[in-house]
Amino acid sequence: MKDLTQSPKTSGPAYWRSLDELSETPEFRQWVEKEFPESALEAPNGQSRRDFVKIMGASFLLAGMGLTGCRRPEETIVPFSKMPQNYVHGVPQYFATAMPSRDSAVPLLVKSNDGRPTKIEGNPDLTYGKGGTDAFTQASLLNLYDPDRSKKFLKEGNASTRSAAIGGLRSISSKFKANNGKGLHFLVQPSSSPSRKRLEALIREQLPEAKLHGYEPINFHHAAKASAKAFKQPVRPLPHFGKAKVIFSLDSDFLGTEQESYSHIRGYADGRRLKESDDHHPEMNRLYAVESLMTLTGSNADHRLRVTSGQVFSVAAAMVDEAFKQIGHSDDEAGSPIPALRSSLREKAKGIPGDPNWVVEAVKDLVAHKGQSLVVAGHRQPESVHQLAAALNVLLGNIGKTVTFLSDDSGSYESLSDLKSACDAGSVDTLVILGGNPVYDAPADLDWKTSQSKANTVVRLGYYEDETSEGCEWHLPAAHYLESWGDARSGDGSYLPVQPLIAPLFDGLTELEVLSRILGADEVKPYDIARTTLKGLVGDANFEAQWKQLLHDGYLESLRPSNVEVKSDSFDWAAVTRDVSQAITESSQSAVASKDSLEVVFHRDASVDDGRFNNNGWMQEMPDPMTKITWDNVVLMSRRTAAELGGIKNRELVEVVLNGRKVQGPVWIQPGQADFSLGLALGYGRTHSGRVGGTGSERVGFNAYAIRDSKNSAFGTGAKVNRLNRYYDISCTQDHWSMEGRAIVREANLENYEEKKDFAQNMDLEAHAGHIPHDEEGNPAEIYKHPYEARPSTHSDIHQWGMAIDLQTCVGCSSCVVACQSENNIPIVGKEQVANSREMHWMRIDRYYSGNPETRSKASNLIMDDEQPYQEWIDDPQVVNQPMICQHCESAPCESVCPVNATVHDHEGLNVMAYNRCVGTRYCSNNCAWKVRRFNYFDYNKRPIDQLYEGPLASRPEEDIDLIEMAKNPDVTVRMRGVMEKCTFCTQRIEQAKIAQKVAARDSGDVEVPDGTIKTACQQACPADAIEFGNLLDPESKVSKLKKSPRNYAVLGFLDTKPRTTYLAKIRNPNKNMPDYHTMPLSTLEYTESMGSPFEAHGSAHGAEGHGDGHEVDNHSEGGHH
Amino acid sequence: MSDVFPKWTNKLPIRVIFGLILLGGATVVGLTYYATPKYTRVGYQPVQPVAFSHSIHADQLGLDCRYCHNGVESSWYSNVPAASVCMNCHNQVKKDDPKLALVRESYETGKPIPWVQVHKVPDYVYFNHSVHVNRGFSCVECHGPVNKMDEVYHAKPFGMSFCLECHRDPAAKIRPLDKITDLDWKWDDDPHKAAELQKTHGDQMVHDWRVESLINCSACHR
Repeated sequence: MKDLTQSPKTSGPAYWRSLDELSETPEFRQWVEKEFPESALEAPNGQSRRDFVKIMGASFLLAGMGLTGCRRPEETIVPFSKMPQNYVHGVPQYFATAMPSRDSAVPLLVKSNDGRPTKIEGNPDLTYGKGGTDAFTQASLLNLYDPDRSKKFLKEGNASTRSAAIGGLRSISSKFKANNGKGLHFLVQPSSSPSRKRLEALIREQLPEAKLHGYEPINFHHAAKASAKAFKQPVRPLPHFGKAKVIFSLDSDFLGTEQESYSHIRGYADGRRLKESDDHHPEMNRLYAVESLMTLTGSNADHRLRVTSGQVFSVAAAMVDEAFKQIGHSDDEAGSPIPALRSSLREKAKGIPGDPNWVVEAVKDLVAHKGQSLVVAGHRQPESVHQLAAALNVLLGNIGKTVTFLSDDSGSYESLSDLKSACDAGSVDTLVILGGNPVYDAPADLDWKTSQSKANTVVRLGYYEDETSEGCEWHLPAAHYLESWGDARSGDGSYLPVQPLIAPLFDGLTELEVLSRILGADEVKPYDIARTTLKGLVGDANFEAQWKQLLHDGYLESLRPSNVEVKSDSFDWAAVTRDVSQAITESSQSAVASKDSLEVVFHRDASVDDGRFNNNGWMQEMPDPMTKITWDNVVLMSRRTAAELGGIKNRELVEVVLNGRKVQGPVWIQPGQADFSLGLALGYGRTHSGRVGGTGSERVGFNAYAIRDSKNSAFGTGAKVNRLNRYYDISCTQDHWSMEGRAIVREANLENYEEKKDFAQNMDLEAHAGHIPHDEEGNPAEIYKHPYEARPSTHSDIHQWGMAIDLQTCVGCSSCVVACQSENNIPIVGKEQVANSREMHWMRIDRYYSGNPETRSKASNLIMDDEQPYQEWIDDPQVVNQPMICQHCESAPCESVCPVNATVHDHEGLNVMAYNRCVGTRYCSNNCAWKVRRFNYFDYNKRPIDQLYEGPLASRPEEDIDLIEMAKNPDVTVRMRGVMEKCTFCTQRIEQAKIAQKVAARDSGDVEVPDGTIKTACQQACPADAIEFGNLLDPESKVSKLKKSPRNYAVLGFLDTKPRTTYLAKIRNPNKNMPDYHTMPLSTLEYTESMGSPFEAHGSAHGAEGHGDGHEVDNHSEGGHH
Repeated sequence: MSDVFPKWTNKLPIRVIFGLILLGGATVVGLTYYATPKYTRVGYQPVQPVAFSHSIHADQLGLDCRYCHNGVESSWYSNVPAASVCMNCHNQVKKDDPKLALVRESYETGKPIPWVQVHKVPDYVYFNHSVHVNRGFSCVECHGPVNKMDEVYHAKPFGMSFCLECHRDPAAKIRPLDKITDLDWKWDDDPHKAAELQKTHGDQMVHDWRVESLINCSACHR
C-alpha cells in the first residue's frame, strides 16, 4: 500500500507549469505545500478574529432589536392582468439573434428567463460554427448588466434627456440637409449590418458632401485586400479548416485571436479528430505554425517555428520559392514574372533562423497534399504575406477546395488620418462618432484627442462614458445588442437577425437610429429599418412569412450568399510580383530585430480584445489561455531576450521605448516566444473604463496603444527596454495545484498510437501492476468498497452520468470557462484574491509545457535552481491543455471527510454539494486530488471586490445589485460566504431534462432521457466538440462509445476513486522528415525516461514480474458498477 | 475562613448543571415545536384582496384546477390566473358584483391584483409542479382540500420531512392521472379497502411508470 501513496517522484516532473515551478523558488515550494496559500491556515489579513467577534456581536444585537416576529413576511403574487400569448411563467424561452463583431457576427440562441436574457449560446442550426461560441460572446451577457455602462444622455458632460438629445440630432439633420452635408463627418467601426450599409448609401446619396471615416484599432482586412488585388475582383477568402489535411499558419492564430475563431476551431477539430476504421490507418490533420508569440495555434501545432513577426515574411517567401522548385513551374515562359518573383523571394528568404530543411520538408508535405492543404496568414502580417499565402494556395491547388471566396462587401471608408487632417484644418463642423474609442486606441502619432477637440461639435454614441466621450457636445448611451433591432452577416455571409430580448434598460440608441435621424428619414425605429432592408432583399411578396422565418430560425436559407467563382488561372502573378518585390525592397531597409533593436508585437488580447471587454469581470478574470495571467497584461519576452538584456527577471517592471514613446509594464518570460520580440497585449491601462477595467490612476494593466503608431500598428522594430529595478505583482493561476510530473496528460504520436492503441492505459501507476494489490485472478483489486456495491439500493438503473473530454480536439480556447461562469452564477473575486488562489472558476484549463530531453540534462529535471529558466531547453516547448473540472469520483475522497455530509453522492453518480449543510471546514478540498473545489471566502455577490475585507460594513449600492442580479441563472443557487462549491455536471440542466422527459412520459415508463438532450454549459459552448456528456448506462450513447476508446484514461486513476470524468489521450501528428521531429511527444519521452515506454509491454523498464500480455487494464469508463 | 463559602454552596454546581440541562431541554423542545413549519405555517390564512372562494368555484361549480392554474402542467410554477381569465366568465356572470371591483379594475387598467402568497418553499428548494401532477401526485397531497376552502389556508407543513415522507414512499400517495385534480377522489369509501388498493395499485404504478424514490439532495437542491 505504501507505494500507492507515493507519486512517481523519482521520475521528476514530466511537465512544468511555469518558470517558477521549474526554478523551484521558495515561493513555489510554499504554493505546493499549501493547497490554499495564505488562506487555509492564516486568518484573512484585513481583520483579526477579535475584530470579527466585535462586529458580529454588534450585528447580532441589531438583528435582535429588529426581530419583530417569527412569521415569514407577507409576500404578494402579482399575476398579469391580461395573459400574454404563448407565455408560461417559469419556462425559459429561447430567441435567435446574433452578436455583431467587427465586420461579422456570431449567430446565437439566447435564453430568456421571465423577460431577462440569462445565457448566451451559439445557434446550432447554422452550418457556420454549429453552435460553438468564443469566450467574448459568452461574456457579452455581463456587459448588458454592467452597472458602469453609460446610462444617461449627456450634453457637454451634464445629464440631459433622450428627447433633448433627439432634438439635437434633428437640428444637426436640418442644418446639413441645407448644405449637402458639408462639414459633417462620421467616424464608424466596420460592420456587417446590411441595414447600416443601406443607410450609409443613403447618406452618400442625400448628403454627398458628408464624409464617412472608418477606424478599427486592429485591422483584419489584409487577407481580403490581398485577395482582391491578386484575383482582380473584390473577394475575401473563406478558409475551410475542416477540409484540409495539412494546415500551415503564417503567424495566424486562427484558434485564438483571429476573427471567427469559434468557427475555425470547429473546422480544425473536425479535421483533427481521429478518423479510424478497421480497414485503413487512422487519419488526422497536421498543423504547422510559424509565429513570434506563443499562441493557441502554435501550442496546438505539430511543428512550430519560432521567428519574429518580421521574419514571417521571409518564411513565406522561402515557402513560395520552394513550392515553385518542387512543383516545377516553367520559368522560361517568355514574359513570365515568375523568375523575377523567385529571385526577390530568394533574397528575402535569406534571414530565416534555424534549419533550412524545416521549410523544405513542410512544403514537401503541403505539395504531397495538393488540394487538401491550406495556408493561412495572420492579421498582423502585411498584405504581401497574405499575397504569398494566396500564391501558395494557388500553387497547391487549394483554390475552390480548402479556400473559397465570398464577395467582399466591407465597404470603403476614408481613413482616420484623413479625418485628423480635416479636423486640424478646421473643416469639420460636426463629427459623429458611432461606437469605438479612438481617443484611447488611435495610433499614438495621430494625437487624436487634440484633433477631435478641434471639431466644432462632436456627437458620440458609446456604450461607456469613456476616454472619447470627454469633451463631446453630446454623449448618447448605446444600446446593447440584446436590446437592439438590427441585422448582420456571419463570417460565411449568412444573413442573421439581431433581435432584442429586452427593452433598452437605459433608453439607449442604436447606430441605425442615430444614422437615420441624422439623415432626417421618416423611418427611425431600428425595427422598421431592419425590416425595410430585408424587404429590399427578398421582395414584398411573402415578406411577413420570411421575416418570421428569419426571427425564428436565426438565418434565412434563401439569403445565403453563393461563393464567388475564383479560378487559380486568374491569379495575377505580375501584380503580386510587383507588390511583393516592392515590399521586399522596403522591408529590407528596416532593421532586423536584435538586442538593441527589439521587435514589439501589439496583439489582440484573449481577455479584453482591443479594450472593448475591458470592464467585463468575467473576461478580466479569465486566465489568459497561454500565460494564465488574470487582470493584467504583460511584456512577453523569451528567455534569451531576458538574458541578453542583462538578466531581466520574471515580473520585473521595465520601460519599453519605441520611437521615443514609452510605456511601463511587467516582464513575463514566455516559453516559445521568439527571441528579440516583445509581445504587448492591447486593451489595458484604461483611464475611463469602470470599476472593473480601471478609472483615473486605478488602472488595470498598461496601455500598449501609448507606443503604437500608424507605421507600426501591428508590430515594429527599433524598441529598447529600460529596467526599472522594481517588481510588480501579477495574479497568475498557473502555479496553483501543481501535479508534479505524473502522467496527467497522456499523449503519443500517430505512429506510436498505431503501434499500441491503449498506450494511455499503460501509463502511470495503474499500469505498473507491481504497485497495486491484486485479487486471485491477477486483476487489480479494489482499494475501496464501491459505495454502490455496498448499498445497491442507492443507485439508479435509469441514468448514470459521465463525461469524456477529448484532449485531441481541445485547443484550450477557454470558452467553456466563461460559459460555466455564466451558467452557474460563479462570482469574480478580483486580482488580489486570485493572487491568494481564491478564484472561483469551476472549470479551469491546465496548460503544461514539456521540454526537449535532448537539450536538457536529466539532472536539471531533478535538482532545479533559480538559473533554470535561463536554460536553453525551454525555448521550444510542447504544450498541452487539459480542461479540469470535478471528476465526480464514484468513491469520492471529498465525501468521506465531510463532517456534516454536505457533499454526498446521488443515485445517478453525481457528487453533489448541499450548500445549506456546508459549514465550511474545507476538508473536502484538502482531500481532493484534482483540486477542483472552490470556497467562498467572502460574500462575492454582495460586496464590491475592492472592499471584501470590510465584510458587512461594505455593501454595493442597491441599484448595482439589482442590475447584476438580472444576469443570474434562476435555476442555480447563488452561494453565500462560507460554503464550498464545485462543478455539478450542470445538475440543473440534468434535472430539467429529466423532468421534461417525465412530463412527456406521464403514465408510461419512458423516463430515460435520450442521448444528446442534455448538454452541459461547457459542452454546449465548446467550439471543438471536445466535451461529451451523457448516460453511461446507455451503451449507444456518445459518451459510452468514447469511453470504450483505447485512448480513454482517468487522471490519477491509480487512486481508484473511479472518476466519472475521463480523458481521451492526445495524439500528435508530426512529420517524420522534419528536423524538429521527435519519436514521441516530449512529455512521453520524459515519462519514458523514468517509467518505461508506454508503447511496450508495460513495466519492462522496471523488470517487474507478472505482466502477462493478457493483463486487463482497469478501464474506468464503466459507469456505475454493472 | 470556613465562612467564605457557606455550606449550601456545596450543592450549587450540581444545581446549576441541572438547571442548565432543564433549560437546554426546554429550548430544544420549544424550538422543535414552535419554530418548525408545523407550527409556524400550518393554519396560515391571510385575507386576500378579492374574496375568492375555491369552495364555490372548484367544488360547487366543478371548475378544474387547471382552468385557472394553467401553467401547472408545464412549468415548475403554478400560476395565479390573470384578471383576464376571471373575466372570461365574469363578463357574463355577476358582471357588476362589488366584490369583483378589483378584478374589473385590474382587467381595465392593467394593475395587477396583489394576491397574498400562502404556499411557498424556500429559494434553495427547486420544487417543480409539472413533474408531480404529470406523474400521479394530486394537488391535495400538498395543498390540502383546497376545494373545500372559502379562503385558502396553509394545510400542510412544507418542511423537508414533509417532502421526504412521500419521496421515501411514492407508492403510498400515487394515483391515476385522471384523478389528479379530483381532490375528493379515493380508491374506495371504505378506508381499509382504500389503503389496500393504494398499496397494490401504488406499487404497480411505481413499477410500471418507473417512478424513482428521489431522496438525494440533487433532487431538490441545485
